[in-house]
Amino acid sequence: MNTEERNKEGILVEDAKSAKKLTRDMLAELEQKEKTPAQRVFDFFISISPMLAAALAAAEYLLVPTLDRFVSSHVNPERYLILLAAPAAAYFVFWLRSLVKYQSGQKKYYWTIVHKAPLYSVVFLALMALDLLTLKSGKLLYPFIPWVNDIINAAISDWPNLLKSCFFSLKLLFSGYFLGVAAGLLTGIACGYSERVNYWINPIVKVLGPIPTATWVPLIMIIFPSLAGGAVFIIALGAWFAVTLASRTGIQNIDRSLFDAAKILGAKERQLVFRVAIPSAMPNILQGMTQGMSSACVSLMVAEMLGVEAGLGWYITWAKSWALYNRMFAAIVALCIIFNVVTNTLNAVKKHALRWQNGVK
Amino acid sequence: MAEALILKIDGVSKSFARVETNDITNALENINLELRQGEFISLVGTSGCGKSTMLRLIAGLITPTYGQLTVDGQKIEGTSPDRGMVFQQPTLFPWQTVEQNLSFSFRMRGAYAENKDKVERILKVIGLENFRNDYPAQLSGGMAQRVALARTLICSPKILLLDEPLGALDAFTRMNMQDEILSMWRENRQLVVMVTHDVDEAIYMGTKVVVMDAHPGRVKAEIPIELEYPRNRSSSQFVEYRNQILDMLNYGGKE
Repeated sequence: MNTEERNKEGILVEDAKSAKKLTRDMLAELEQKEKTPAQRVFDFFISISPMLAAALAAAEYLLVPTLDRFVSSHVNPERYLILLAAPAAAYFVFWLRSLVKYQSGQKKYYWTIVHKAPLYSVVFLALMALDLLTLKSGKLLYPFIPWVNDIINAAISDWPNLLKSCFFSLKLLFSGYFLGVAAGLLTGIACGYSERVNYWINPIVKVLGPIPTATWVPLIMIIFPSLAGGAVFIIALGAWFAVTLASRTGIQNIDRSLFDAAKILGAKERQLVFRVAIPSAMPNILQGMTQGMSSACVSLMVAEMLGVEAGLGWYITWAKSWALYNRMFAAIVALCIIFNVVTNTLNAVKKHALRWQNGVK
Repeated sequence: MAEALILKIDGVSKSFARVETNDITNALENINLELRQGEFISLVGTSGCGKSTMLRLIAGLITPTYGQLTVDGQKIEGTSPDRGMVFQQPTLFPWQTVEQNLSFSFRMRGAYAENKDKVERILKVIGLENFRNDYPAQLSGGMAQRVALARTLICSPKILLLDEPLGALDAFTRMNMQDEILSMWRENRQLVVMVTHDVDEAIYMGTKVVVMDAHPGRVKAEIPIELEYPRNRSSSQFVEYRNQILDMLNYGGKE
């Protein structure tokens, strides 16, 4: 981008800083190709399309008649409408806010909305299609694929168990993950820093690392006195492997001249490790932690087959074996939400910790 | 007006073994130099003559094979903020802001609180007050090198070692920085040892130019530059010095 290149030259940045009148938004606008009136109308239509799609889905839900054989099991129909209305209302608030900001010159919010709107619309349309295929026509076989309102009903009727399972899964995930990350940091940094430690640890990493988590299950059932301990171990193992590899690479690839510079400035051996080596390897370490999290999420499902007494993976297996597919789907949705929240949180942490990497703010 | 002797390089040789072949390269052979307070030494020579090795020895980053280096009569062992060094690349810590980079040395020695005002002052001197919270990736080459220089100078080193500090800069930034370094030096009068490839720069800045020869690295000549500061790059004496040094390096014009 033109603006970015210019900002890398010192002088122009100085100018931009001293002259406060020109903002980044204005720059982007000045250099943008001008939009035709037709394009503007189209953009506006796109920006409201999620609300239209939500309304369409609601209309379809209310107007298309329910299949006769489902009428008796179709209870509390208003819940699905709330599910449609809540995000649509939230979107409306953000849309309104972006319009207000647009008027006051901060146009990027509006363009973000326009950028994201089609995706949201498609989600509402997909919900509508699902409703048509299940509740309204029975094209997808009930009870294997229930309609959304049925899943909501199941989640609400069994919420204490579901919540307990979420809590158990999170507890297991994090205790395993943090254990693995801590161990991985220790071995990875030690391996990167000391040839001797690497000599002993590297073979272990090489032999044990690539073995898929599920392979460990039979062995762990024999070795570990408590299954909970075994479950934590399985999750920790994957995270440990990813973090060890990444942090070792990070430490080994540090620019040696940074050490020279730090030594000249009076850093002691310990400070070279903690104040130079580790921060410098941070991008790799965080990359390893992200990878470790995805492997921990996979391992979590394996670990919950070990006979723990709660947890979403356990709940899914349990619901399936009792043919309670609506509850199974409720647990799957909960799992999706949890994994998404965890991954996004980790990404936000990563972005903040590595803010020094991106050139211009 | 003989100033106090600070740095004595006494019969120093440095050899390196190649990793693959185990061949021994003599980077420096029997170097004898006596450097005094307030001198600005320019080290020039073709590549491979051990200029940078010499600086690294003085800095204490490496140890000599034979001979010894002493500062105020004390043998150099390891690095010290008293012997500050600036490299060709800025080598700023990329995860730290300008301000954090400048205070790095103080923080390493647990002396940040009492030296906060020094950080403020030097930010003003290098004219980067508005950039104190910027990260090195956001700075231009010249700004980054100025921060690197300031980061070293803030410790008030007795000896300042410059390893082609301006080598990676464009011609104009380079000339500005030469004057900046000179004015800092004239204010503090520390001993400066600067490695450069640029003969003009060596004459423009140095009180003495040390010409080195390669294979093995040794001192060929020490040429005191008897010109007033600020120097005129196109004066006849300047040109004379230039020709003399270029001749010595076998780059003189052939008639």
